Amino acid sequence: MTGFSLPIQAVSGGDFTAWLVEDHSVPVVSLSWSWPGGAALDPPGVEGATSLAMGLLTSGAGDLPETAMAEALRDAAISLNFNGGRDESQGGFRCLTNALPEAVRLARLCMTAPRLDAQPLERGRARALTQARAALETPRGRASRAFWPAAFPGHPIARPTGGTEESLPGLDAAALRAALARQLRQGGLLVTAAGAITPGQLAALLPELFGALPAGDPPGVPPLPMIADFGLKIVPIEAPQSFAIFTQQGLLVADPDWEAAQVVLRILGGGGFSSRLMEEIRTKRGLTYGIYTGFETLLGQGVVLGTVATENARMAETISVLRQEWVRMAAGGPTAEELADAVAFLTGNQPLQFTDSLRIASGLLALRRNGRSMDWLDRRPERLAALIPADTSRVAARLLHPQALSVLVAGQPVGL
Amino acid sequence: MPDLTRRATLAVAALAPAVLPSLAAAQLVPPPVPPPVPPARPLFGAGLWTLPNGLRIAHVEQRRAPVVAQYLFVGAGAGDDPQGLSGTAHFLEHMMFKGSPHVPSGEYSLRIARQGGNDNAFTSRDVTAYYAQVEASRLPMVAMLESDRQAVALIPADEVAAEQLVIIEERRQRTDVSPRARFQEAFNAAMWGRQHWQGRPVIGWPDEMRAIDRQALLDFHATHYAPSNCVLVVAGAVTEADFRRIAVENFGAVPARPATPRLRAAPPAAAASARLIQHERVEEAIFAMSWAAPSLTWGETRHAYPLEVLAHLLGSGPGSRLHKALVQEGLSAWVGASSDADTFGISDFSIQTAPRRGIPPERVESALRAEIARLLDRGVTEAETTRSTRQLTAGALLALDGLGAAPRMIGQALSIGLSLDSVEYWPAHIGAVTAAQVTAAARAVLGPNPIHTTGWLLPEGTEVPA
Repeated sequence: MTGFSLPIQAVSGGDFTAWLVEDHSVPVVSLSWSWPGGAALDPPGVEGATSLAMGLLTSGAGDLPETAMAEALRDAAISLNFNGGRDESQGGFRCLTNALPEAVRLARLCMTAPRLDAQPLERGRARALTQARAALETPRGRASRAFWPAAFPGHPIARPTGGTEESLPGLDAAALRAALARQLRQGGLLVTAAGAITPGQLAALLPELFGALPAGDPPGVPPLPMIADFGLKIVPIEAPQSFAIFTQQGLLVADPDWEAAQVVLRILGGGGFSSRLMEEIRTKRGLTYGIYTGFETLLGQGVVLGTVATENARMAETISVLRQEWVRMAAGGPTAEELADAVAFLTGNQPLQFTDSLRIASGLLALRRNGRSMDWLDRRPERLAALIPADTSRVAARLLHPQALSVLVAGQPVGL
Repeated sequence: MPDLTRRATLAVAALAPAVLPSLAAAQLVPPPVPPPVPPARPLFGAGLWTLPNGLRIAHVEQRRAPVVAQYLFVGAGAGDDPQGLSGTAHFLEHMMFKGSPHVPSGEYSLRIARQGGNDNAFTSRDVTAYYAQVEASRLPMVAMLESDRQAVALIPADEVAAEQLVIIEERRQRTDVSPRARFQEAFNAAMWGRQHWQGRPVIGWPDEMRAIDRQALLDFHATHYAPSNCVLVVAGAVTEADFRRIAVENFGAVPARPATPRLRAAPPAAAASARLIQHERVEEAIFAMSWAAPSLTWGETRHAYPLEVLAHLLGSGPGSRLHKALVQEGLSAWVGASSDADTFGISDFSIQTAPRRGIPPERVESALRAEIARLLDRGVTEAETTRSTRQLTAGALLALDGLGAAPRMIGQALSIGLSLDSVEYWPAHIGAVTAAQVTAAARAVLGPNPIHTTGWLLPEGTEVPA
């Protein structure tokens, strides 16, 4: 790739430091931030509290009840969002530059003075219940619900992020306030920004946005254990097509083999049409619309995760080809040509991932979450270019263990 | 109707358990546009030219990143599928990646990936679009790849059968496993008729998807992929002069051939079925109402923009009429309204809502009908209209943040016969809508209308009045 670089600045204001990519070509600003914890902070029996509480932050705050808050945001075209994920919670907004002061005011209000009024709370809870139930209507939803406890039995991240039919009815304002008190802290906060904002403007708004949050970190979450090798698990649901999730132990984000492993997984089943799994399972055999595998990053680890859907009668054949490809990659690694193609793609694709302010801000946030240095991206092409087939073959053998590939299928698969 | 893409987005993200109904999801996202005063300047400042072979080419220079996005829009989609062969446009979209005179099967995506680029395609009712994003100096390469297959699609006979299985799996994944998607499909068919172009699924009916053969795909390409029926849009870090030179060198070489105008059947005299009640193994009921409606290209086009304002005014989350009447009153979990002005031919205006558990479905239906009766009786106020036009247009400039919005908006508009100005000045068009126009549009469409269907998706064991 021809000298693409993302000029990242570190900007400090008050006790906060943000990474910024400044660009004034379009009058738009995006800010993203995150706290560690997320749904993993929910105590047993209170599943869904963090997710629901984060989602309700924009449903009324300070002197603005729900409708007034919605009108204020939409009148100024501010998209302000909070959500609680599996292992972290996020906030962020995108707005036109002339709406930036209003965006900061409203975001701060939502984080520091959420109303949690009875009506929106009750509706939010009902909506979460509806989603929890609806997730069980499809093979994909069933598979996802069953996958996490199978892979990480007993660990807090294995519970449904959005709560369950059992936990949600008990979530009252007190439970949600407790969830917010755990999560919304100054400690652990990561902030990034992109777009038409100067370092000086950003430095000034950081303490305004976050200075009123309580000091200290959110509670810790136990480290992610080794993934449980659960072999083959079938979750019955009446449907014409089965959905499978396949997985095995991955690597720490900090592992020196991380990037080589990303290359191996791209060649095996990453986004492109040219991956081995797409070639063998979709293009040659017409078994599926799509099959993918890659790292799912959780608590500082990349778990190897993949998905595929196919007709019930052909799931057995699909998994058999999948296992063959796992064996072939583990044994031989990528060819020199495959390696060159993957490196060319990953290097050349970098600028395409930074074409709008929202993607830039969230890309920066991912770098910070993974503990990368500010020059990580700029130096990535040279690290990738230095990889030789012996490296990726060694990493393929280290990463992929066909006998430990666990598969969960939801549907009515035949012959498994 | 969501566009169908050739491949799903990254699957790992799909593991998230939440499955939001599409209308509810739409209302959580901020509205597409807005400053309080619509800009007097064009939104994108695009240039537009026509090549001697009839291809229209549009250019938007954007310098934020050293990349370009190339979109080729074909002015034909599922709405133009041959009778009895629904799914042809979408199947052809898949087969377009199987080789052209200078690009062997599978090489298209491979070559772009080797240059770090992304590519994909999608099919909607009105268009089939192919796009690639690459580092700016690679524009000639993607222009060559795209123009080669626009001129001639090989559609190798020995690859048709496997790809047919792929699209059948795609249908299973999108529709057959999802009770809501099956309901949506059945609802469209109930309203327009299973064989009307509005009533057929974009991906096709299963038996018809199996009946599409290589010749049908070649015929569709011959009929619809003529340069004069296509629009090329490029946005990004390329000057107008370089863009025009690259477009002429590559797409200019595609031979002109006669383009067949879209031959779409007239609307039915009345809805095929005015009421659909479908029971499924679902946890949540859904109520849908839909009315045939004018668009910017069909019927009383003056109602098209007011209908967009009406959809916002009725069903756009907190502060909108139906949200107050159904959601705030504790009857529904969510409600949304939608209108699609920029389509080719007759369009529709739709409302969907999900009753809260424990609320009798007929209570929700009658509350919704009462709101519509009130709307038709008393019309809308200036204050409501101003609020909606302001919110619809406030974020217009956000479309400049990113590479995809300009080509998608421009390509869609030009492909259905609208002008470039309809895109460049759309905030002004919306901003000019008055309360009287919204009221008139509501009465014209939501009043007595022979093409009108209501439908319930119900959990098994639940009943509503027929």
